[in-house]
Amino acid sequence: MESVPLTWEEVARVYGRKIYNFAYRLTGNPDDAHDLVQEVLLRVRKGLANYQPGSFEGWLWRITRNAFLDDIRKRKRRPTAPLPDEVDRWDLASTESADAAYARVSLGDDVQKALLDLPFDFREAVVLCDIVGLSYEEISQAVSVPIGTVRSRIHRGRKLLKETLS
Amino acid sequence: MIHPSEQISAYLDGELHGKELNGLLEHLSGCGRCSAEVEGIQQVRAAVRSLPILELPEGVVPEADADVVPLRRNRGLWVGAAAAVVALVIAVAAMVTPPPNTVSVDDLSNRFGARVSLDPAFSSAKVVIPELNVVGE
Repeated sequence: MESVPLTWEEVARVYGRKIYNFAYRLTGNPDDAHDLVQEVLLRVRKGLANYQPGSFEGWLWRITRNAFLDDIRKRKRRPTAPLPDEVDRWDLASTESADAAYARVSLGDDVQKALLDLPFDFREAVVLCDIVGLSYEEISQAVSVPIGTVRSRIHRGRKLLKETLS
Repeated sequence: MIHPSEQISAYLDGELHGKELNGLLEHLSGCGRCSAEVEGIQQVRAAVRSLPILELPEGVVPEADADVVPLRRNRGLWVGAAAAVVALVIAVAAMVTPPPNTVSVDDLSNRFGARVSLDPAFSSAKVVIPELNVVGE
């Protein structure tokens, strides 16, 4: 049986970085990723008391996805600052040199931009698969679509990425 | 010939089994077009998977023994409000205080300090504003 983190602190420790990377790769924006992690932890804390044993990954990523989509809906109702695309806006580890940080971030610039060009459904499926590392079954539960749809979205997303990057 | 294109990603992800897997492998053995697609998709898949994993910035999650849930920020609003207040104070001070004829080292330090506090680019400090504190059960 799948072990389930019992406290939100454990969820934060085990999944915080994954949630942050999920949000960053979907938005390309560190501030949005930061906010999403905090919002998800709030919802996890509220929801853990009512959590029914099952797929914890599916439950957690459904919460994460809903928080993300809620944030998008809010943004559509109010003006926001433009998305930053400058490397110096990143929250980088204080121990990392500027050159090392720039090299690390620049490494995936083209891929990140290509990801942001994908339709949301494809981008989400690819990120959940390749960045977060979920199985198709877990993605299906998180996104509430059949596995066949997950398979199709991932493949079509990758084909579009291939066209953009080549 | 039907090309089972959408099975290719599932195959690379280890999500293809049984008859589907055998059928695709048989097809690939005789189809250069699909074999090339496998190679191309594999390269894209590897590129996405090689994106740097970003560490969680400090301050996103509180200490493990904290009894308060992390606080949602509204960085833009509060930084803007703080900057407006500082600007107002400076404007009022400028009206009531005549400018000095000489500039000391302390004056330069203070001016730089003021710029640091106004310009987020000079500081990596996060602005975390409490909106909601949920005390642990």
